[in-house]
Amino acid sequence: MATFAAYTIIGLSLGGVFALAALGIVLIYRTTGVLNFAHGAMGMFSTFVAWQIFYGIAHPFWPQWLATAIAIVVGLAFAALMGLFLDLVVFRWVRTRPPVVKAVITIGILLALQATASLIWKNNQYHLSIYVLPKDWVLNVADVPVGANSIAIIAVALGLAFGLAAYLRYTSFGRSMRAVSDSPTAASLWAVPVARVSAVSWMLGSLIAAVAGILITPFINFDTTSLTLLIIDALAAALIGGMVSLPLTVLGGFILGLLETYPTIWIQSLGFPRLVALVVILAVLIVRNPRGLTATSR
Amino acid sequence: MTWSSRLTVRVLLALLAFAVLARLPAGLDIGFQFDAALAVVWGFGILSLVLLTGYVGQVSLCQATFAGVGAYAAGMMVSTYHVSYLIAIAVAVLAAFLLGVVVGLPALRLSGITLAIVTLGIALVFDRYVFQDAAFAWFTGGSAGWRVDGARMFGQQMDSSRHLMAAYTVLVALFCGVALLMVNLHESGAGRRFRAIRDSELAASTMGVNLTRYKLLAFGMSAAIAGLGGSFYPLVAGSVSPQPFWLFTSLQLAAIAVLMGVRYVPAAALGGVFMAFVPDVLTRFGHGTFRGQTYDISFDWFQIAVGVLLVVQLILLPDGVWGDLRHRVLRAAKHARLGSRAGTQAKGQETRQEEVRLA
Repeated sequence: MATFAAYTIIGLSLGGVFALAALGIVLIYRTTGVLNFAHGAMGMFSTFVAWQIFYGIAHPFWPQWLATAIAIVVGLAFAALMGLFLDLVVFRWVRTRPPVVKAVITIGILLALQATASLIWKNNQYHLSIYVLPKDWVLNVADVPVGANSIAIIAVALGLAFGLAAYLRYTSFGRSMRAVSDSPTAASLWAVPVARVSAVSWMLGSLIAAVAGILITPFINFDTTSLTLLIIDALAAALIGGMVSLPLTVLGGFILGLLETYPTIWIQSLGFPRLVALVVILAVLIVRNPRGLTATSR
Repeated sequence: MTWSSRLTVRVLLALLAFAVLARLPAGLDIGFQFDAALAVVWGFGILSLVLLTGYVGQVSLCQATFAGVGAYAAGMMVSTYHVSYLIAIAVAVLAAFLLGVVVGLPALRLSGITLAIVTLGIALVFDRYVFQDAAFAWFTGGSAGWRVDGARMFGQQMDSSRHLMAAYTVLVALFCGVALLMVNLHESGAGRRFRAIRDSELAASTMGVNLTRYKLLAFGMSAAIAGLGGSFYPLVAGSVSPQPFWLFTSLQLAAIAVLMGVRYVPAAALGGVFMAFVPDVLTRFGHGTFRGQTYDISFDWFQIAVGVLLVVQLILLPDGVWGDLRHRVLRAAKHARLGSRAGTQAKGQETRQEEVRLA
């Protein structure tokens, strides 16, 4: 039973990771109609910027908490700027194109970001993780030691999902974002600043990707490809949420995390969870074609 | 031109292309000969996308997976069952075809970005699980992969070290043949049905096109083409390993196919050469000193270039490099033929550039 509880905890923190990564995908897809395959790569790049600040500059000289805080702030600022840059330089010019063309553009961005990162930080090297909270903060839940970083991931995922959902629902800019997601043309006729909404969505999405990336590093192989390839699990979670609902997306992330973790009790295989993700994607797409994907063929 | 004279021209062009291409790398060193053979392997990969995406409008991000299945199947047949390489290729193409049909099954319900997500998932499953897990060692030869040396075809030695040109010649002959078939397919009955599916599935099925049959056929044929190229990989490289067929190769194949012009067969040759030669040239000549500054251009610059070029191309030249060149040449020809006044009218029509038909 202890094994089961332990795997549940692992699965939930993994699920938090997927949920965090998926939130940004859903946000960007809803407001700009771009299915962002480069989401993992964007998070990866910002995370490596934070890593560089932490281990390259700050680490040996400054106290741990200050170095961590500065690294996180710089990483997040970089992420927001990258989101703004991508919107201004790329996606502003393809707004009227079919969704598939926009998706293929994000594949180009994925390739470029991934190769740039592997050029700067090398591909197969071992990278030390960033611990947002000290590594030795451990709680005991049902006789299973749980690291504070696991709890942080779960809490941040839930907080961000409900926070973002509330932001979209109750603030005036959030309403603008939802208006653009329903119909950019109609929104612009009602004087909704469509360009600004799209820029803010990309900045927010990129920011969330960076938050996810930084929180994830203790839990995965921290290299350039692993974070990039997280995209498929994130997409699976986003599809469970129908590409629309943020709370359902987080739920999807936790479900997927558990589904990918429990089989590892019996099957010692690094690749098997990928098969689980694929099956989940196929099941969601074929059984209940998500309305977020079919309704808007912008 | 009548149909038969057009066919004659195409056959002659294919023969000419074979004659030129087969002799072209003969004077190069072994490294570039390897690149030339690899260029044809990836050329097949891109050609498979020309069929699937360019003709039928189905998105796929797992073409390197099909090539990999072809490569591993050929390696397994030669290493485990010691069959002749020709039979190994036939088995590899059949295996890729069957996998293509299976991958095509979800495509009956999906299209566009949902299909992109599913094929990406399939590519990742093969990359991280099937090609690397011990459970599939019978197929992949375990972590060491298959070693293929001393293979024979048509009574000729064709191993990678000393008889690379023999393998290359067979590859180029096959590529020219398949390319010719592809060009002819475009106007055949099946090709018209494929293009009808691309333009509107609903309209196509209303006109009596059997969507199930032709979509599965397209996926199977496309996978078979990619697998045919992949089945030569063990011959060219001497061994098979998961790395050449991982997810990023699939993404690069898709990116380069769109970049070069996913609707045009010659773009496949262009893309294959680009994909095989540019990284090698970069790693070979990309380092040294220039005015006292040492520089080192790594292999990674190739993938950065592919990504950036793809983004720029999709914004500026939606029909790809070959497509854009073709438009320009055709427009210039029309301009010359019609005289300046009628030419400007024609130009006005031509500038409504067609969107790349991916969806």
